[in-house]
Amino acid sequence: MRDIELLTEIINSIKDNNNTSRLDNIKPETNLRDQLSFDSLDLAELTVRIEQKFGVDIFENGVVLTVGEVLDKIKGRDEK
Amino acid sequence: MRNKLFIFDPFSHTEYTYTGLIYSLNTSIEINKIIHSADYFEIFRDIILSIIYDIPITLIDYGLSQQELSNLGLNEEALSEKISIDNSNPIEISNLISLIKANRKWQITLYTSGTTGTPKRIAHSFESLTRSVRTGEHKSGDIWGLAYNPAHIAGLQVFFQALLNLNSIIRLFGSSRAEIYSHIKEYSITCISATPTFYRLLLPFEESFNNVKRITSGGEKFDTKLTEELRHIFPEAKLLNIYASTEAGTIFASVNDSFILKEEYNTLVKIVDLELCIHKNLVGISDEITFDNEWYRTGDLVEVINNNPLTIKFISRKNEMINVGGYKVNPTEVELSLNSHPGVALSRVFAKRNSITGNIVIAEVMIKEPGLEEKALRIFLSERLQLYKIPRIINFVDSIETTHTGKLRRS
Repeated sequence: MRDIELLTEIINSIKDNNNTSRLDNIKPETNLRDQLSFDSLDLAELTVRIEQKFGVDIFENGVVLTVGEVLDKIKGRDEK
Repeated sequence: MRNKLFIFDPFSHTEYTYTGLIYSLNTSIEINKIIHSADYFEIFRDIILSIIYDIPITLIDYGLSQQELSNLGLNEEALSEKISIDNSNPIEISNLISLIKANRKWQITLYTSGTTGTPKRIAHSFESLTRSVRTGEHKSGDIWGLAYNPAHIAGLQVFFQALLNLNSIIRLFGSSRAEIYSHIKEYSITCISATPTFYRLLLPFEESFNNVKRITSGGEKFDTKLTEELRHIFPEAKLLNIYASTEAGTIFASVNDSFILKEEYNTLVKIVDLELCIHKNLVGISDEITFDNEWYRTGDLVEVINNNPLTIKFISRKNEMINVGGYKVNPTEVELSLNSHPGVALSRVFAKRNSITGNIVIAEVMIKEPGLEEKALRIFLSERLQLYKIPRIINFVDSIETTHTGKLRRS
């Protein structure tokens, strides 16, 4: 599976737990807070789930705002 | 003064001026014995009335679930109990502060997450809550961003700091990043007190706000990197880090991560086996706090940097409470809730570190027989626990690891 599909899975599992509707597709420009309405607990869960899956802490060096920035962090890990 | 804003609460879509507050104080004929409201104006108005009429009250977090309320023995009847007040003496803006300060025996009871699973009741006097309040002409123009839940001690301290200077209060608690920035700008907020998690969510830097003059951080371990980032967003702000607890209120303040004890507390604070201990004279009144020869053991482990004056750094918590963005979660309480589900055989609750909230709560659950789904378990928990206590990740497992003494492993 591509990174973006795995990330969509993770985001949807967080949305399931919040009882909010799943997304069919996410775009790199999707904003985690403004469009997905993720609060601090949602973002914390997102980082932990991504770390478990990809071994990278997306918020380690500051806050990321969009799906594209998350994907860059995941990709950055592959290139290290 | 006439049209000075008292509070803006975007969640109840209300803005009250001090004139509006005074009108409401003078026309109220009763107050709730137990304050349990989502409306910040109502909460603060009832607190002020209870002080002026010297009526002891209890303040309950509106976020508590039905189950948690009933665990505390609070049913619908208890929550709707009213006390009549005799409002024949007019309250005016000019005598408001002196009426508040004239209280004799007023107390407010709060609940704090206990280590045994049941919250502890702690009563605070006006003196203990306002110990760290500073007043004066130079503070009269302060505009406070309230980033704490008002049912917690930190929120009350911000409230009193603002009220005793007749400052405006802008509710920031619960708002999104974009809304927070827009309120900071629109209301020209000058002071914010919040947890590191709140500040972390304001990142990354996009715009500077020169109107903010003071930033206070507390409730979690100090974060030096975050401080550097905040300097970009609030370049004019003085940063202050405080150490406070529900039991004792504010004890230390510092501009970095080492805390210097104020001389007046010299005989009231000591360190025993690395643990910070506070004398009972500084602690709220409660039957549920145990003292060790007049000393309250905080459970906070510290490193002594200097003995005279006493200078310390915080290392960690002694007990197992999980700090989720400044809110304390007792893993035992969450395990008891999970285990009370008929389909659950055993559970283990622990913390997982992250760079947003410090920790999140994770659970491992062993089920009795196949069929119990995560969704059903989450609904079950949401009826019993506050949102931040519900495990964000629930893993269904075949066995649960214990330590060699047979205790559940916490990490």
